[in-house]
Amino acid sequence: MTQGLSRDQLGVTDAMIEAYAAIIFRLSNNLQIRRGDPVRLRDIAAIGAHRHELGMSDAQIAARIGLRPAQVTFIRNLEERRRFRTGYYHQLNKLGGSKRFRVERMTPLQDHFRYSEDALSLRSAFAFEAETVRSYVEQGYWKNDTLRSWLNRNADTNPGGLAITGAGGDVSYSELRDRVEKLAGGFYHAGIRPGDVVAVQLPNTRDYIESFLALCWLGAVLTTLYMTFRDNEFKNQLTHSRAKAVIVPDTIGDFAAAETALRMRTDIATLQTIIVAGTPPAGAMDLASLFETGTGLPKDLPPPNASDPFLLLYTSGTTSSPKGVPLNYHQMLSNARFGVTEHDIRPGDVVMSAAPFGHLYALYSVQMALCAGAAIDLLPMFSPPAFIEAAAKDRPTHVFAGPAHLAACLGMGLFDKADLGSIRVTVLSGSAVPPELVRSCAPYFSGGAITQLWGMTETQAGLYTRPGDDPEISATSAGRESPGTSVRIAGADGKELAASEEGELQVRGPSVFAGYYNNPEATAAAFTSDGYFRSGDLARKDGDGNVTLSGRLKEVINRGGVKYNPQEVELLIDQHPAIAQCAIAPVPDERLGERACCYAVLKPGTDLALEDLCSFLSGRGLAKHKLPERLELRTELPMTATRKVIKGQLNPAG
Amino acid sequence: MQNQDVDPLQAKQDIIAYAKRRGALVAGIADLAAIEAIAPAGHRPSDIMPRVKSVISVGVGGQTQGAWSVPAKALGYFGSTETRAYSASYALAFFIETNYGAPSVYCPPDMDNEAGPRVPLQSLKLHAELAGIGARSLAGDILLHPEFGYMYFASVFTELELPPDEPMAENPCPAPSCADMFHKTGQTPCMKFCPVQCLSGKITSDGKQEEMHYDMAACAEMTQQYEAVPAMLAGALAAETEAERTDALFDPDNKMLWYKMSVGSGGLLAQCFECMRVCPIATRSPQADPIRRRQAKQ
Repeated sequence: MTQGLSRDQLGVTDAMIEAYAAIIFRLSNNLQIRRGDPVRLRDIAAIGAHRHELGMSDAQIAARIGLRPAQVTFIRNLEERRRFRTGYYHQLNKLGGSKRFRVERMTPLQDHFRYSEDALSLRSAFAFEAETVRSYVEQGYWKNDTLRSWLNRNADTNPGGLAITGAGGDVSYSELRDRVEKLAGGFYHAGIRPGDVVAVQLPNTRDYIESFLALCWLGAVLTTLYMTFRDNEFKNQLTHSRAKAVIVPDTIGDFAAAETALRMRTDIATLQTIIVAGTPPAGAMDLASLFETGTGLPKDLPPPNASDPFLLLYTSGTTSSPKGVPLNYHQMLSNARFGVTEHDIRPGDVVMSAAPFGHLYALYSVQMALCAGAAIDLLPMFSPPAFIEAAAKDRPTHVFAGPAHLAACLGMGLFDKADLGSIRVTVLSGSAVPPELVRSCAPYFSGGAITQLWGMTETQAGLYTRPGDDPEISATSAGRESPGTSVRIAGADGKELAASEEGELQVRGPSVFAGYYNNPEATAAAFTSDGYFRSGDLARKDGDGNVTLSGRLKEVINRGGVKYNPQEVELLIDQHPAIAQCAIAPVPDERLGERACCYAVLKPGTDLALEDLCSFLSGRGLAKHKLPERLELRTELPMTATRKVIKGQLNPAG
Repeated sequence: MQNQDVDPLQAKQDIIAYAKRRGALVAGIADLAAIEAIAPAGHRPSDIMPRVKSVISVGVGGQTQGAWSVPAKALGYFGSTETRAYSASYALAFFIETNYGAPSVYCPPDMDNEAGPRVPLQSLKLHAELAGIGARSLAGDILLHPEFGYMYFASVFTELELPPDEPMAENPCPAPSCADMFHKTGQTPCMKFCPVQCLSGKITSDGKQEEMHYDMAACAEMTQQYEAVPAMLAGALAAETEAERTDALFDPDNKMLWYKMSVGSGGLLAQCFECMRVCPIATRSPQADPIRRRQAKQ
């Protein structure tokens, strides 16, 4: 409709539009050329001669090209609509003040970064309830913290402060930021984009820290591969995580990690880039060279925010296949921010992890160091002598270790001459902590506290004892909730149990994950109707709120309806002089449903019969129904990468 | 009834003095015959007011000095000061009728109802230029004044016959610094800093305008969102799913458009001001903003 007339009244055909649109647009005032200054000079002749360039009215155009004015108006409007591109004013809004337009800095909207489908799929895994988000934000648990912002803050406020120490030498915070920024540019150059999942299998080295932080700087997502992973685990995790790149050493012992990753690339559709710390085989990229190849990140790339995922970790899988746990900065860094105070980490402290960075527990220590402005002390691969040497040389104030680490040092008698005087806090986690181990180690750490921590990939640090706690509390319990976390001990009916009663440990809080990646069934099974995560761990809570872990719910033996926790039996069996390692798992029984079978690895040169074992246990007061009814001797037990026995793989011979 | 014993020269002085009291920085009388000769049919003063005898053009101050220093997004809200020009000219029309008995109209600064939003009903720019209160610049023919820089204009048509003024003897654009820059780089500041590069041209060796090229379509795409509204509706109609249709109508950008339309918000940008922000005449003329005018009085 133009001037009240419809198109058929105007007689405008498609052919007319096709033929006249360009000349009408050109003659209209959409494009204006003025030669000289004829209007000011009132040079009517010159104006007339150049009217077609100055911009003509529709009537003038109509007279010039032989159409009716209304036809020109119709066609001009159509052509303007066809040519008009919306959205330019977004660019305009960024201009002005001291910001001036530079054509080379302008990225057309259609060329701005967009997340890949995989990245969007991962982002959709954070299905928090609205009330949960409101609560955590209002209570201050969730803030807009990112590792990039923490690194920036440390580099700005304390540029010369020690960021990394230990193996590989000292690195200041300003140097670390500079290297991380360069490597992030290198990763971008290598094709990694925000939201992409990148798998890393490296020891606790500078390469790991710098790669991790550069991925965070870029907005990518880290998935950790344990150093013990070989072809099968490698392939499973890379496939499930839909990793786009992998960063590995050239070799791990006799395992050709880089070659393996390259080989996988042909089988795993998403895997595109293999980055190697060391000597890269043909087809792989050299991690060191990526510090030099990047030219910075594009300006339109969104910087990471606290709601962005940055970790996709996998459960250790003691009872089932590993499950992917996506975590964002909100969840992880609120846990770390409060942990800094609770574990007494101060600016200038030195934080060592004896656990590999592939574990959430170790990354927790790294994040707390960054939060506090402390240094990350690198111990590339734990061995008792290496730990003792690093403790003396690097002077850590905090050590995050597993009970096995301290037990190994203790067993080798290395603590006797060790210099552990710098250590204010030693945190133990990762597996059940024998009270006797804590008591035995305590005299060697007389300058500081030994504390316990309980957490899972799904929950992060949920419970811990504090440095000021009674040492016996830290020896015998995993302590109290981390700030913001709520735990309860629930019975089989789901109701909370009274103090000291054993039941399932259930957890809720700002650090608890939202759901497994691409696994809605597992997610549904993991939470109670009121939002508590079912840890599957058995525990008791004392009157002061300290929680003691006592086993796994799924490992409970149900002998003819009489249920008991085998961990108590395993702890007694561990005291038998012939036992190197043991695990109790049920075997099916037609009459009772289940009976207990003890799987044991014996110390060299020893022997053991079931009757002897039962006699040993009876002598220590174990109830008759808890005595193992079968003994299977093995040379080794199936273990997870985190050194936990995989009971699901224990099957009796025959 | 028009007063027969009006002294045109005295009336002109009084009218200009009144316009200034109402907020105009400058005012002048345009040569009606020249307007009628230059403006295309349908856009001439006589098309609106057949018995028009004079066209009075008034200019009010453009931006404050503070406005030039804020981001474009904020300037979009601070920059719409043209209402002062309209109120001054509206009052002027009443003043002429009250004092001289001559029918007068405030000339609407509107678009041509029949031709659409890119075609003005009357060229206020042409009136001002012929009234000698502005000259065409290389920045898309935006008028500039050597004393007051960048201004907004409004017009009054009246049956009172007033002696016309002359256009400016000299065009202040390009400023010597702009001509110098052009001869070194091929661009003046307004050309260089235009977000959509809609300006280009030529300057003679003695620093005069030779050619001015203005891609108004590109400029409008950047600053004027009126085409976005029908485009949004077309997108909603063409949407295949309810979610896409909802997005098309209610995403934040489009909701902002609805809002601006419903309240007539100044945030609906009419120009982006970047060419004027970098123009030494627009922003640094002796009386280009209130602070400079205050300093000039002292």
